[in-house]
Amino acid sequence: MSQKSPLSQEPRIVGFLCNWCSYAGADMAGTSRICYPASIRIIRVPCSGRVDPILVAKAFAMGADGVLISGCHPGDCHYVQGNYFTRRRFAVLRSLLDFLGIEKERLRLEWVSATEGQRFAQVVADFRDQLLQLRGAG
Amino acid sequence: MEELVRQKARELLSTRQLECVIGWERASDGLTSRPFFAYTPEEADRLIYDQTCVNSLAKFLVDKRNKNTAIVAKPCDTRAINLLLLEKQIKRERVYIIGVTCAGMREVSFGYMGEKLQAKCLLCPQHNPVVYDFLVGEPVAEEAVRSYEDLAEIDARTHQEREAFWQEHFNRCIRCYACRQACPGCYCQQCFVDQLDPQWVGIRIAPQENHQWNTVRAFHLMGRCIECGECQRVCPVKIPMMLLNRHLLREVESKFSFQPGLSPETPPPLATFKPDEDLGI
Ligand code: SF4
Ligand code: SF4
Ligand code: SF4
Repeated sequence: MSQKSPLSQEPRIVGFLCNWCSYAGADMAGTSRICYPASIRIIRVPCSGRVDPILVAKAFAMGADGVLISGCHPGDCHYVQGNYFTRRRFAVLRSLLDFLGIEKERLRLEWVSATEGQRFAQVVADFRDQLLQLRGAG
Repeated sequence: MEELVRQKARELLSTRQLECVIGWERASDGLTSRPFFAYTPEEADRLIYDQTCVNSLAKFLVDKRNKNTAIVAKPCDTRAINLLLLEKQIKRERVYIIGVTCAGMREVSFGYMGEKLQAKCLLCPQHNPVVYDFLVGEPVAEEAVRSYEDLAEIDARTHQEREAFWQEHFNRCIRCYACRQACPGCYCQQCFVDQLDPQWVGIRIAPQENHQWNTVRAFHLMGRCIECGECQRVCPVKIPMMLLNRHLLREVESKFSFQPGLSPETPPPLATFKPDEDLGI
């Protein structure tokens, strides 16, 4: 499972973005006309804490090259603590996936605020580069 | 020890308002054991305790949560009881725990009892019950350090090899959910794989779905698995899922200095956080 897409294709990234910060950040990138790779498919969620590990397991099982989970910076969560729980959960999930053969670099957690359109574009571009590198490596 | 267990069970059944004593009895093959519920003082004489009592009985307490029960519990079973107490699935005042010390359970297969201990017992970090009302057996010395040498074989592989290894195992899964039924931590009234709306995981028995099931089952026991080994023991196709459980145990120990089942109070690692921790993510 978790097959990576063929070399000729763009990597497939599934992005779970929280409604309050990161989705608005992606929106900011759009309204500011900042280019970022089309590799990412964005799914809007109420909070990064909403992202159930099942969804991540499913994304990988169905052929995603990478999964990005992005939420408000620590301390800025709209629901006060959601992203702290997310951080713990995904630190462990990453390591479980790694043990299963899905390189931990393929699951990313990033904090992007509503004003950081530039940063969002950078995050996606970096992630894509990293996925291409991983694919090249093996 | 066995006689002491019977004595105590008899005494409890004749002096207290108890539904039953949960323990083991000799199975019909005359060699192995099976779970047994003693409802009367006479039935208490059928209880046994020896190196064949491998089943974890703690989960039965969840079914009996509204009754007063007593249970014979090995050290790993007492860790399961702590887990259930911590997660508020059972009430301490309703359970009387007859703790038994443990020298490890032996491998048994069809009419033959081996000399070898069960794999989980060779790795077991806890030989004395961690919670009990009455202790049977002399406390034994504990080895202080845990070892994860069983994981080295997987650690040494490349990601591609790991993926192939697990895929080969997961492909055999027949989705019988025996691993879940046997697990003291899997008491959810509706498991995510049984839900149809939303359907978290497809019900097809196929590589993709099997992968999701096995991954998420392991993850749900993260910081909760008390290493009773029941999941792997009951798996009809022998998927080595203890490797996953133990990898997660290693993770919670190194990241959060947490060992499941040692206390009925310490909050589990995913139910808490430290604002400024660095988890390398
Ligand atoms: S996951 Fe397996 S070893 Fe862990 S508590 Fe459940 S049945 Fe026991
Ligand atoms: S696999 Fe998860 S959802 Fe299913 S019973 Fe176990 S803990 Fe509950
Ligand atoms: S017991 Fe084994 S075959 Fe059955 S669902 Fe669990 S892993 Fe699959």
